[in-house]
Amino acid sequence: MRQRVLTIALAALVGFGLAQSGTLELAVDQSPAGLDPHIVTAFSSFQIIGQVYDGLLEINADLQLEPALATGYSVSPDGLTYTFELRDGVTFHNGRPFTAADVVYTYERVVDVDTGSPQASRFAQVASVEAIDDLTVVFELAEPFAPFLANLPNLPIVAEEVVEEHGDLQQVMVGTGPFMLSEIVPDTYTLLVANPDYYRAGEPGVAALRYNVVPEASTRAAGLRTGAYHLIPDVDPATAQTLGGVPGISMLSVQELSYSLIGMNASRPPFDDARVRRALNLAIDRDELVEAVYFGQAVPGGPLSPGLTDWALPVDEYSCYTPDAAAARALLAEAGYPDGIDFEIVTLGTLRVVVDAAQVVQAQLADAGFRATVSVEELGAFVQRWRNSDFDAFASLNGGNIDPDGYLDRTFRTGGSTNVFLYSNPAVDTLLTAGQRAVDFSTRQGIYADLQRALACDGPVAHLAYATLFTAYRDEVSGFVQTPTRSLRYLRNVTLN
Amino acid sequence: MTSYVVRRLLDLVFVLFGVSVLIFLMLRMIPGDAVLIMLGANTDITPDRVEALRRSLGLHLPLHEQYWQWLTGVFRGDLGRSIWTGRPVLDEILARLPVTLQLTGLALATAIVVSFPIGILSASLRGGTADTVVRILAILGLTLPSFWVGVLMLYFASVYLPLWPTIGYVPFADDPGGNLARMVLPVIAVSLPMIAGLSRILRSSLLDVLSLDYIRTGRAKGLGRRTLLYKHALRNAMIPVVTVIGVQVGYLLSGVVVIEQVFAIPGIGRLVIGAINERNYPLVQGVILIVTAVFVFVNLLVDLAYAWIDPRVEYA
Repeated sequence: MRQRVLTIALAALVGFGLAQSGTLELAVDQSPAGLDPHIVTAFSSFQIIGQVYDGLLEINADLQLEPALATGYSVSPDGLTYTFELRDGVTFHNGRPFTAADVVYTYERVVDVDTGSPQASRFAQVASVEAIDDLTVVFELAEPFAPFLANLPNLPIVAEEVVEEHGDLQQVMVGTGPFMLSEIVPDTYTLLVANPDYYRAGEPGVAALRYNVVPEASTRAAGLRTGAYHLIPDVDPATAQTLGGVPGISMLSVQELSYSLIGMNASRPPFDDARVRRALNLAIDRDELVEAVYFGQAVPGGPLSPGLTDWALPVDEYSCYTPDAAAARALLAEAGYPDGIDFEIVTLGTLRVVVDAAQVVQAQLADAGFRATVSVEELGAFVQRWRNSDFDAFASLNGGNIDPDGYLDRTFRTGGSTNVFLYSNPAVDTLLTAGQRAVDFSTRQGIYADLQRALACDGPVAHLAYATLFTAYRDEVSGFVQTPTRSLRYLRNVTLN
Repeated sequence: MTSYVVRRLLDLVFVLFGVSVLIFLMLRMIPGDAVLIMLGANTDITPDRVEALRRSLGLHLPLHEQYWQWLTGVFRGDLGRSIWTGRPVLDEILARLPVTLQLTGLALATAIVVSFPIGILSASLRGGTADTVVRILAILGLTLPSFWVGVLMLYFASVYLPLWPTIGYVPFADDPGGNLARMVLPVIAVSLPMIAGLSRILRSSLLDVLSLDYIRTGRAKGLGRRTLLYKHALRNAMIPVVTVIGVQVGYLLSGVVVIEQVFAIPGIGRLVIGAINERNYPLVQGVILIVTAVFVFVNLLVDLAYAWIDPRVEYA
């Protein structure tokens, strides 16, 4: 009799286990460089942090905000007070219930100078955060700030007692997310196991996630073929072509938010003259560049990614995007350079796409009287020159944000934190402030349309192309949703057959 | 002999001291501010954070004090901490070193075992078809980059032998079969150029020895071909081969950097590439110091091997 009870209990356990079974094997290029969600900057770290921690809100595959730890929120009419209702019954991986006090603590930790968090500046407009009761938290802003909600997914909620115990969170992870950290073997793999108490019923769909660290793209592809790996989250266009026709392997693709660009130094000749910057835009043939550099797997774009369908203007709105070498020469002559211009494009050797783009642009510019030399720099030297605005022009890759303010404000405002171009345009500054203060969506749309028109041709950045992001996976995998932000949040929906 | 070993060990200390000064100065003479470079393109970092990082790395101290701190740390077995993970540098290195030593050890053994018969065969069949074939193969082996051979083997294995575990690493203690199965392709890729080089050296060295007077004398007094070759010629032909093996260990240590990358093996090579990419200076310093020590030590062993091979070699 006892035997039978045990058997039934075991069967029940096994039956329950079936809902979450198997280990999803991923192949990624790097080990996480630290795990503290408020300190790290490496993409390899965020791939893992996103499975373990939750914010109040999260970004879905359509780039819209969705509830996560908050079930809903209300905004006061003056746009200064945000009240969040929190999800009931959520526990941290250490078993302690999640409450409003954790949100307050997390905010305080992020803005504390001693933490040194790169996210701190995103919450500069917040005046106070207060827990009204266990499940209600109120953010008071000092002034209306429309991008506020879009920054909340970048505020992963952490537990104070864990920080107290370990000093920081670089080697320990206790969140509320679908997976829990089990083991890190440096340069080999990171293993996450399913959180049995996760608040979304039935998720995650697999018992464990293993991030295998495989630096070579061709090795990742070989491992996917043999079945050693189930899913490669980030496949370059060349590898995507070779994996495309392989039976048993499927491919997803989506328009990325990150883009290639030529940045120009607006503080010294020749690019201090808006006519020269416009001439450079006119001399670039973006369609040709997409073919030559991206094998056709990208689209030309302006200051905002075409993936931001609510915000981005179509590129045919920009007059300088129709290549016209003669018009470019005429503009150069008008700006006082009838014999053309000699200048240097600095690039980063470690990014193949960037070096290729710089060379294609160099060739295209030659027809319009721009004589560019391309200097390929090592990372340290490149960052140094970039930071000190010690360049005529540079070629690079940039990430994107879901709110237009996230990229435009820091890049183009006078004195902005990534305005290494030393660009200063009072009209642009006024529009940027208006875009932050306006809470009404259609008003903001109008403001950012004006900003894109102001920046596309005359601004210090010639935006080139937005690449396609590929994900490859085997037929055993179902339920994965790809996002333009490269977030892997939807691994929680994946099941293995 | 003993005094020679002691003197060589003292030399080793001086070499390592010189290397430590070089590593230390090089990392600090890189143009630009190391702290800013380490923080990369992240401009949201506040000046306070920059200053805190500078202090935690001890970079605010004068140069000689920085060096003294580091050097005394080394003697206490403390190579500092990895900047990004916070783990002790020594632990990071000791976790990877056995993996790389296994790979280089297997590759070295394979190269010696395979190149000796090839070298002897082509020397004794000098000018014949076999010799020509071996020579062509040797040139191919020397010129094909091992990472390319590695990628090709990996590709063909994934298509034709999909069940063979090729990628990654499992510790020998956990799964001896799986460990060795994963070592096969990387060992072949790393040892191919070495097999080619060693067999060529052995061939020409053997031919030199075989043309010497004492061999002719031996032949004249009626010694058999085998006895002459294996008993009298081979041992004398070994000296240059052993020298080359010593140098090749340095080549192996650098060759595995790339191969570890291709086959996703978590060894020293991966560690140092990662450290350089992340501007993880304490880690870079530590790895270079340890790898130099291994290399210098292997060369000491090579010098000692001369005496064992050739008793005429004197250590005065």
